[in-house]
Amino acid sequence: MAGATITHAVHNRLAINRLGLWLFIISESFLFSVLLSSRYFLQGVRRPEEVNQPLGLAISIVLLLSSLTAYRGEMAAAYGEQRRFRQNILFTIGLASLFLVGVGIEWKEAFHFFPPSSGYGTLFFTLTGVHAFHVLTGILALLVVFFLGRDGRFTKGNYWGVEGVVKYWHFVDVAWVFIYPTLYLVS
Amino acid sequence: MRAQRSGPKSKPELGAKMRLGLVVFGVLMAIEIIEYLVGTSVRAGAWPFLAILAAIGAWPIVRYFMHIPQLWQREE
Repeated sequence: MAGATITHAVHNRLAINRLGLWLFIISESFLFSVLLSSRYFLQGVRRPEEVNQPLGLAISIVLLLSSLTAYRGEMAAAYGEQRRFRQNILFTIGLASLFLVGVGIEWKEAFHFFPPSSGYGTLFFTLTGVHAFHVLTGILALLVVFFLGRDGRFTKGNYWGVEGVVKYWHFVDVAWVFIYPTLYLVS
Repeated sequence: MRAQRSGPKSKPELGAKMRLGLVVFGVLMAIEIIEYLVGTSVRAGAWPFLAILAAIGAWPIVRYFMHIPQLWQREE
């Protein structure tokens, strides 16, 4: 009887954690939705010719690849494969950093062709800037998970920390799936 | 109290999950490349297609990587 009560309480805790995170993700998606809609409201579908489309595709692929490694890291943690978990989280951090380098290159070019003072520049730098900030916070969270994992804090039955951070990371990826065509492809 | 879960988890099961991740990634890559080709080759009026492709691309991430069914299922 007592065992059943404890199991039920534990399940509720996990369900509440997940629900809380999803509510946070939904609230974040409103922020990105507003920023994305502002692009169409202020600029329509106009886009400067100088936008570096191949670089946009390259950094999109890097971010998608980081989602795969994050997923593999979470699955490895779920099945108690500690080494594999840490490796994949480390790959994710590396790919995320590479994405930020790509955004940096893009910004350097963008400053020249459509500076933040121009209409498109305002939208471009706001959208990519807000997203890059999320990437940066995601990297910090992944680093925390990596170091906690190295200390053996996550086990087969207890890896909510990994699951939560990886879910957030996937959300950052989902946001980019919409930002990429909006800024680089629509014309 | 820590959020723990129960149930045995086997290695073949993990292999299947890893393969699923690769399949999802493959689908996402294909969508991304189609999106790029549409965006660079269609000069005007491509935005509805791009919006649909973005939504199609987001769904596998939400469904398989973020495990949204966990919200209404007891345990995955």
